[in-house]
Amino acid sequence: MFGKGLIKGLQITWKEFWAQKLTVQYPDEQHPVPERFHGRFILDVDKCIACSLCANACPNKVITIKKQKVGKKQFMTDYIMNIQYCLFCGLCVESCNKDALHFSQDFNMNQYFYRDLPLVLVQREAPAEPVDEEAPAAKAGDDKKAKAKPKPKAKTDKPAEPAADSEVAAGKAPDKEGQ
Amino acid sequence: MLENLFVGIADWLRSLLGGLGTPGEINEAIVMLAKLVAILVFILVNALWLVYMERKVAAYMQARIGPNRVGPKGLLQTTADIGKLISKEIVIPKKADVVVFLLAPVLIFVPTLMVFAVIPFGKNMAAIDMNIGVFYLLAIASLSTLFFWMGGWASNSKYSLIGSMRVVAQMVSYELPLVLGLLGVVMIVGSLKMSDIIAAQEHTWFIFTQPIAFLIYFIAAVAETNRTPFDLVEGESEIIAGPYTEYGGMAFAMFFLAEYANIMVICAMATIMFLGGWHAPFGLDFIPSWVWFFLKMYILIFIVMQFRWTYPRIRVDQLMGFGWKVLVPLALANIFITGIGMKIYQAIGW
Repeated sequence: MFGKGLIKGLQITWKEFWAQKLTVQYPDEQHPVPERFHGRFILDVDKCIACSLCANACPNKVITIKKQKVGKKQFMTDYIMNIQYCLFCGLCVESCNKDALHFSQDFNMNQYFYRDLPLVLVQREAPAEPVDEEAPAAKAGDDKKAKAKPKPKAKTDKPAEPAADSEVAAGKAPDKEGQ
Repeated sequence: MLENLFVGIADWLRSLLGGLGTPGEINEAIVMLAKLVAILVFILVNALWLVYMERKVAAYMQARIGPNRVGPKGLLQTTADIGKLISKEIVIPKKADVVVFLLAPVLIFVPTLMVFAVIPFGKNMAAIDMNIGVFYLLAIASLSTLFFWMGGWASNSKYSLIGSMRVVAQMVSYELPLVLGLLGVVMIVGSLKMSDIIAAQEHTWFIFTQPIAFLIYFIAAVAETNRTPFDLVEGESEIIAGPYTEYGGMAFAMFFLAEYANIMVICAMATIMFLGGWHAPFGLDFIPSWVWFFLKMYILIFIVMQFRWTYPRIRVDQLMGFGWKVLVPLALANIFITGIGMKIYQAIGW
């Protein structure tokens, strides 16, 4: 029949008129992100052994790791990602032996100033003495026990500011973003 | 009370002026002026609302939300847009005919406003109840072609020229089926007076006795207002915006508002001629007559908007072919059948 297609078209638009709207009004509401989304990185500092495998795996040399020797152990002082060069391929996350590096679901990494762009995951000063983990070993000798005493002192010596920075960078304090 | 709201205001104004002791003619002139100003405000407010409604309808048919940031529910969106357009410069092309170029957007509202003077918005609510109302309306409404042509010609731009040539071709060829479609109704009523036509539809709307005429009228009317699927005139994807290409700022806004005012005119006309004007259906008289009029008008406007977001644009040859080879013969056949039917009814003695 002539005009059948025209009426069918009107029916479709009429049905669409009452249909569920798909718009997600972004800043107010967010679209759910897939589970394995490649967002901002999170580093579990306690698990990390500063092996630099991730830095070697990176095709763009995004990751800069600085470490110092404290006692017998490597102590990581800086873990900074020049995120503006990152292509979020995930090779660093895959290469991590200790399962310390992860992706988060946070994709909002824009900054007002260029200098704020690098993602500072860790920035701290090395303690003068070896820390906690060596405490059981320290039981062996009395002289070592005496050395273990300044441990808490070393901790308090740590400047508070870099700690806060690393917290922001690790995505633990998203409200401080862009400040 | 509500039924006679606007008539009551007019009477109150008249009696107020009568109390001042001025001559009767001047009083009438002042009342008439008040009516025309009221119509002007009505047109502008409705045009603002229609732009918003168009965007909302479009968004809803595309599973979007549409404007919802400016004002409550985005209602002030058009106001903000107009505010922006007013503040913008009107760029005049180098070799344009300046006088005609600037005159076109100024005059584009004139035919629309003149047409609204005869439209009865409710019981006894026509500013002027002319005895040749329908004829006057059709004659004036087709004048707007001239202003589109003025704008297109004066812009000195190829897109404007092509667009305005299309306006003339399209409006002239669709004016004919439009008038012939309405002729069936006029034949039955035997009058060109709007109030007579509405009175004749007290029991049966003409959409039921003249369905083909309604279809022809509605299609031709959509073409008359340059709406999709007949928007070759503006054709954003091929000739930018047709006659409006070179216009910016408020000059463009005037064309834009006039387009929506024209949609109102054709839908109001369809309501008067085919949907019983301000008559309430099913004896629902407790709702005022002007509310019914707007309700019918806005249903038709919604359908016109739905057309726009449903159908693609047709080609020029399809447009002309459809107008001259389908609509005009159909309208003539409708007139012929209506005439025969009337004679038969007279012979039977209904």
